[in-house]
Amino acid sequence: MALLEINGLTQRFSGLQALTNFSFSLEERELVGLIGPNGAGKTTAFNVVSGFYVPTEGTIVFDGTPIMGLRPHQVAGLGIARTFQNIRLWNDMPVLDNIRIAQSHWLGYGFWGAVWRSARYRNSEAAVEKKSREVIEMMGLNDVADELPKNLPYGLQRRVELARALSTSPKLLLLDEPAAGLNSADVDGLIKHIRWIHDSFPIAIWMIEHQMKVVMALCRRLCVIDFGRSIADGLPAEVQANPDVIKAYLGDDTL
Amino acid sequence: MRCGMPAVFPAPAPRRAPADHEKGSLMESFIQQCVNALQWGSFYALIALGYTLVYGVLRLINFAHGDIFMVGAYIAFFLSTGMLAEGGMFGFSRELTLALTVPLTMLLTSCCGVTLERIAYRPLRRKGAHRLYVVITALMCGLILENGNLALLGASRRALPELLDKRIYSLGGIAVTNLKLLVIFTAVLVFVFLHGIVTRTRIGMAMRAVSYNRFALPLMGIPLDSVIVFTFVLGSGIAGLGGVLFAMSYPVLEPYMGAMTGWKAFIAAVVGGIGDVRGAFLGGFLLAFVEIMVAAFLPSTFRDLFAFSILLLILWKRPTGIFGMPLTTKI
Amino acid sequence: MQRYTINIIFLAAAVSLVAAAAAGLFDNYILTVLMFMGINIIFASSLNLVNGHMGEFSCGHAGFMCVGAYVGSLLSVVFFTSNKFFGDPLFPPEAAPFLFPLVLILASLAAALFGLIVALPSFHTRDDYLAIITIAANYIIISIVENIDAIGGPRGFSGMKRTMNVMGDVIHLPWMLIWVLIGCFVCITVLYRLVTSTYGKGIPAVCQNEVAAEIMGVNTNKVKIMAFMVSSGLAGMAGVLYAHVYGYVNAQAFNILKSTEGLVMVYLGGMGSISGVILAAVAFTLLVEALRFVIPAANDLLHIWGILPASSELSQIWKWVIIPLILILLMQLRPEGLLGNKELTHVFPRLRRWVSFK
Repeated sequence: MALLEINGLTQRFSGLQALTNFSFSLEERELVGLIGPNGAGKTTAFNVVSGFYVPTEGTIVFDGTPIMGLRPHQVAGLGIARTFQNIRLWNDMPVLDNIRIAQSHWLGYGFWGAVWRSARYRNSEAAVEKKSREVIEMMGLNDVADELPKNLPYGLQRRVELARALSTSPKLLLLDEPAAGLNSADVDGLIKHIRWIHDSFPIAIWMIEHQMKVVMALCRRLCVIDFGRSIADGLPAEVQANPDVIKAYLGDDTL
Repeated sequence: MRCGMPAVFPAPAPRRAPADHEKGSLMESFIQQCVNALQWGSFYALIALGYTLVYGVLRLINFAHGDIFMVGAYIAFFLSTGMLAEGGMFGFSRELTLALTVPLTMLLTSCCGVTLERIAYRPLRRKGAHRLYVVITALMCGLILENGNLALLGASRRALPELLDKRIYSLGGIAVTNLKLLVIFTAVLVFVFLHGIVTRTRIGMAMRAVSYNRFALPLMGIPLDSVIVFTFVLGSGIAGLGGVLFAMSYPVLEPYMGAMTGWKAFIAAVVGGIGDVRGAFLGGFLLAFVEIMVAAFLPSTFRDLFAFSILLLILWKRPTGIFGMPLTTKI
Repeated sequence: MQRYTINIIFLAAAVSLVAAAAAGLFDNYILTVLMFMGINIIFASSLNLVNGHMGEFSCGHAGFMCVGAYVGSLLSVVFFTSNKFFGDPLFPPEAAPFLFPLVLILASLAAALFGLIVALPSFHTRDDYLAIITIAANYIIISIVENIDAIGGPRGFSGMKRTMNVMGDVIHLPWMLIWVLIGCFVCITVLYRLVTSTYGKGIPAVCQNEVAAEIMGVNTNKVKIMAFMVSSGLAGMAGVLYAHVYGYVNAQAFNILKSTEGLVMVYLGGMGSISGVILAAVAFTLLVEALRFVIPAANDLLHIWGILPASSELSQIWKWVIIPLILILLMQLRPEGLLGNKELTHVFPRLRRWVSFK
């Protein structure tokens, strides 16, 4: 059974059909790229999977649980974490807090626990603290743990976002253009990081990326989407040679 | 203090019991109430238009706007008592006084609005301060206007001298004064005029452009500050006009008169969808209709409760009002 | 040891204040000012949770204070005094000092429930529209209270002085001061512990990026409900204390002007800074009291210098010109407030040796 099964997904916004009968499946520990021209519906697909939109039609099953109609935080609790195209960190809280808050879904206490500082509160906070320190250590963010994200360079902000997503211990990581706006040195670092994450954790990664360098270095499988439809799915070399894909990117020159 | 309003607030409409109990008197009283609601709604609409103009352009709730309306009424009072024959400085006739008071009040009230913009809002905007700080400044400016007025002029209520001969037209048992007709027609006229400006003229286009992206505008060669000043001139001028008409209709002027009316007009603008001229106009009449009908058929203490509960329900179900665009977040 | 410094300082200050008051060192005026200071601290710092930490613009906070004040007064009258409406007291008078916390808790819970009026719409609305909803909530609450004739309607409600007397008869202590101090302590502890916990940090996360918060696993709706209910519940507690200090409540005392006072204190202190808002509440109370003396003094001076004609008089209304003016100037010169969103220990790092804010 695949980790993520998307079947016949259709997403309509008033007048615009962003996804049409989109189907896709992802095995555990797979690393798949999602590419396509601008406005093809890539981010919409991510938004539907992470629960931000409720799909008009179709089913999404994650790890055996149907997740259509769940609130985003519930989806996150099931084990899907993501990063954003335009970085969305909590800019006025230190990096460490950014990572701690992302673990909210398994805090075992509520308001009264926090106010009473119950035993469960103390254990839970200790575990959160430990996990956050681990992730920070792992992602090489030790030096900036107490900095505010808004004061960090762009490349580091991307890394903080990746660390935040990882700290939720996800089974599936959705990366929305992780290399956007990075210089080539940062891109090399990013490739290394993603590969290392993929090798060291039991995580499946699905990423949207425009930079072919990143896609070709990381993905063993590519899915191409155009006008909300999946037009190709397979090995990078196959996809590159696919006439539909060439047409989608370069236009139809049969005129 | 500020909300000690209901006690001193003029009753929205004279509740006249039907003279005879013939058939259809309920219907007549209903239509009579509708006419009253139209007049009452005109004031709300006139003030709400100013709220919505400024919000539409600057995304700023100009909380001082209700008090600018109050300033307009006071300006009208001083102008007309100064100009009128009885004890006035110039001894003008009533017609001439009315003809001069209206444009002069509008002019002076716009000056007041623009002054606020210049000394309080613009420096903050230049600094790129958070929107919230501007809103708080506006709230505080409103407090200064009303309490400053109270401190300077005292709490005594003032009455505008009568500038218009009262005539009552009777249409099939429904009494309409010429003043009511004047108020309603003015409101409609102002709405048509404003809607024309916003949708048909170049400056209107510039105003709409500011609301979309304030930072791109100067780059396109449009003088941002002039557009904003123009917006404040329009909004405050209309509030001044509303002030004159209000003072003529209900000759009870006191410093807090703008506060409650202002809040209500603001609600009207929001219910209509703040930022949209049509919404403000419609919202004003809608709110007035609800209030008058509640006051006519229920104890009048329920008026605010109903008005505000309806606002709450509308905003809950349709968070951006009747004509407002739904808010969308893009990832 | 650092952990307890604040508690120890607070305890010591509280005990010495109560002792001084019991010994009759303060006259009634100073005692009242002190209690209002405490009430303002509770009122402002509870508003700070919503306006500062969560970044919403609630301008109807006094409405929740109103709920607390009325529910608390009603309970205290029913519980402890004999009354022609409610008959004999429900509890023996000796129990009053021990059962008063129950009144505080129940009234706070009632106010917290009313917080839902604002919390539920906040799922779909933000910013300006939510601000309007809070204003509407304030008016609705006042209007409801004024329309219930059984609790006095627009005439107000009284009888709480007798509760205080009953408590004073049991043990002679400045009870109200004690309750205000306990209220302050509870309020600040709750807020402080909340915002330093990972759970409570969801509140600023909602403020800074709601989309990210929801997608990264923070139940934003729950966080909003929690923040609004805690905030309005604490405001309700301030209301009970207010009602008992005055011995009389009137719905119009909790109108938009009262809410504006709260806003002034929060923005004076700096949004999201607990210590800043406490300082601001103290400063604001002192300022208001100072103006009570400064304005007549200025009046006399202006008359002596002949600037002001003898016919006119500087009235206390000027207070409400001066306070907004201060806030406008503050917005122009230091919009982030006294402390910004930092705590005292960030502004003065040396304090950290003595006090731990963790």
